[in-house]
Amino acid sequence: MDHIIETTDLTKRYGNTTAVDHISFSVRKGALFGLLGPNGSGKTTMIRMLTGQTRVTSGSASVLGIDVMADPVGIRSLVGIIPEQETPPSFLTAEEYLSFAGAIRKIPDIAEVTSWWFRFLDFEDKRDVLCKDLSRGTRQKLMLAQAFLHRPVLALIDEPLINFDPVMQKKVKEFFVSYVRDGGTIFISTHILEIAEEICSEFAILDRGKLLYTGKTGELAEKKQHLPEFFFSRLQEESHG
Amino acid sequence: MFELFTNMMKEEWRLHSTMFGSISFALFPVLIFAIVFMGSFLLPLFRTTLPGGDLAVIVTGSFILLGVMVGGFGLLGNEVMNRRFGQASLLAYSSRSLPIGERTIFLNFVVKDIVYYIVLWVFPFAAGFIVASPFTGVSFSNCLLLTLSLTLSFLTGLSAIFLLSTLYSRSKVILGAVLFIALVVLGILLYSQGINAISYFPPLMVFRQFSYGVTFLACLLIAVPFTISILIYSPESTGNVKKYRNMIPFLSEKLGFFPVSPLVAKDLVDLWRSGGGVGQVLFSFLLPLGLIWFFLAVLGTLVPPVDVLLVFVILTGIISATMYTWLTSFDSFSSYACLPIGVSTLITSKICSFTVLQAIPVVFVSLVTLAASGSAYLVPSLVLWCSITYYALAVTVFLTGLSPSVLVYDVKVLFAFLVLTGIPVMVIIGLLLVSPYYSLSGVLLGIPAWILVHAGYRRWDGKDVATF
Repeated sequence: MDHIIETTDLTKRYGNTTAVDHISFSVRKGALFGLLGPNGSGKTTMIRMLTGQTRVTSGSASVLGIDVMADPVGIRSLVGIIPEQETPPSFLTAEEYLSFAGAIRKIPDIAEVTSWWFRFLDFEDKRDVLCKDLSRGTRQKLMLAQAFLHRPVLALIDEPLINFDPVMQKKVKEFFVSYVRDGGTIFISTHILEIAEEICSEFAILDRGKLLYTGKTGELAEKKQHLPEFFFSRLQEESHG
Repeated sequence: MFELFTNMMKEEWRLHSTMFGSISFALFPVLIFAIVFMGSFLLPLFRTTLPGGDLAVIVTGSFILLGVMVGGFGLLGNEVMNRRFGQASLLAYSSRSLPIGERTIFLNFVVKDIVYYIVLWVFPFAAGFIVASPFTGVSFSNCLLLTLSLTLSFLTGLSAIFLLSTLYSRSKVILGAVLFIALVVLGILLYSQGINAISYFPPLMVFRQFSYGVTFLACLLIAVPFTISILIYSPESTGNVKKYRNMIPFLSEKLGFFPVSPLVAKDLVDLWRSGGGVGQVLFSFLLPLGLIWFFLAVLGTLVPPVDVLLVFVILTGIISATMYTWLTSFDSFSSYACLPIGVSTLITSKICSFTVLQAIPVVFVSLVTLAASGSAYLVPSLVLWCSITYYALAVTVFLTGLSPSVLVYDVKVLFAFLVLTGIPVMVIIGLLLVSPYYSLSGVLLGIPAWILVHAGYRRWDGKDVATF
């Protein structure tokens, strides 16, 4: 399978509002793909459709060869997901949430796996604390851990670094790069262009539900263009066009 | 703080109306009005079997119960806002970013709920009665007195629950002591020779023997608990963060006979740690049933005791079915959206968790039956209770999926629920009048229950799940 995500004329409407408007693109296996766009451009809606959390209005999409409409639970069994808002259950502890996610995914040796994540993301002292009492950054760490517990072939992450301090951001970026190098695929949605420029191999730009551009960050680098400048110029062209 | 109050009212309206449409939700009070209007024409029939005074007691008790249930639902401990509103960001959290104190917010929240539910429940009820009064022969002044009496009864129930819940959040020991003292005093009043304590209940006296003094006393009975609640209300302390042992592997193994036992384990941990378990048992199960038992006892002079018992068991079955709401009210599907869990799987797990909770009504029904009629009717009572509770659960699952607490205000849903549960209940009550052992026929409800649950799976799996 060369393309791990494929969409054809994918559309999502909420009443009279078109959040995603006839978008066709694909994500190559082994890519660290960045979906970029201003606030409200449709990035989160796109991820929710690809992970089966919200139904498609029209068009089609497949993830790992599975139609998102036909088997959304099947997709979620194979991929890792970090939603835009960190939402672990309030009254479970951090460790319990990972045990719970591990039990649902039938991960063997879950205790060992969770211990590794607590050490790696440096929140071992929070393992027995209720999720509702965790800071936003710690909840984000927890969601990151739950997304990668089962070492998925594909992870879809909405704003992965937004609640992290600079030290943790560096660590997580390095993790993403090495994960992809080891054979995984990561799809991130972000409006922080510097992050995308630093770690993504491919990217797409959305604006007001429409796909403006898809391409490789390497191609921009060859033309000595920076992603932020390219991004703003495409948005301007679109608004004048 | 009038701006806070008015915006909270707007917010409450939009919270419900965005769920199922403004018109559907707006029709809910109209439905209440219509039911009461039509029911008023049955008054002459009631009067042939039930003295007017007893009817007033039953209706008063119902409104106290309503106040208890409205106040009890979601008002436990400091998780009020989180448990009721889930992941939504609401005005209740305004103190985080605006110069508004938490007590001010709580006060506005309390007043908002009072106004909102009086408009939603009490006024439509009263209006139905008032509009029917020219045809039923009830004087207009009596109608107004009844409206006042029912409002005061509702507020009495609400204020009592607010006080008990704020006590609960401060100290379970103090709550236990207050409840014990209240029960002892109530017991003395009710069972003292020569005293009919009920007739001295101030909101009821407002209707039966109106005077400004009695009205003032009734208002005091409401204002004092409310005032104490506001004064002792304590925002959650962020000082000491509690730590807990990982209970998921242990509970998942013990509950391994259930499908998706980790989900059931999670529910039980959630219910226990949120404080919802004990509170819900007290305020949403025991208290309402205690009041129902008390008022059904009035019928004991008119119908055979075993029939009263079995009607009570039926009502216990319906109240037990609301435990499904306990399990869904603190949960939002967004917690599961990252995991390979579909809506139908989650519903199944909630039904399993619900089954675990049924240990409480099993014990309750058994004790009540043994106390009321000995062991002869124990099996029929339990079979009847089990049939009704699982059938009502199945209807709830089919009609509301994972959102029973909000969708009950959808007129179409409420009407469907009343029809789907009311018809079998009426049939069974009719059979009970022939022989109490016809209660065993309740097992036949298992068939439609199974069909409804599986239809509910198909229905809700195909919908986008609302998340905030």
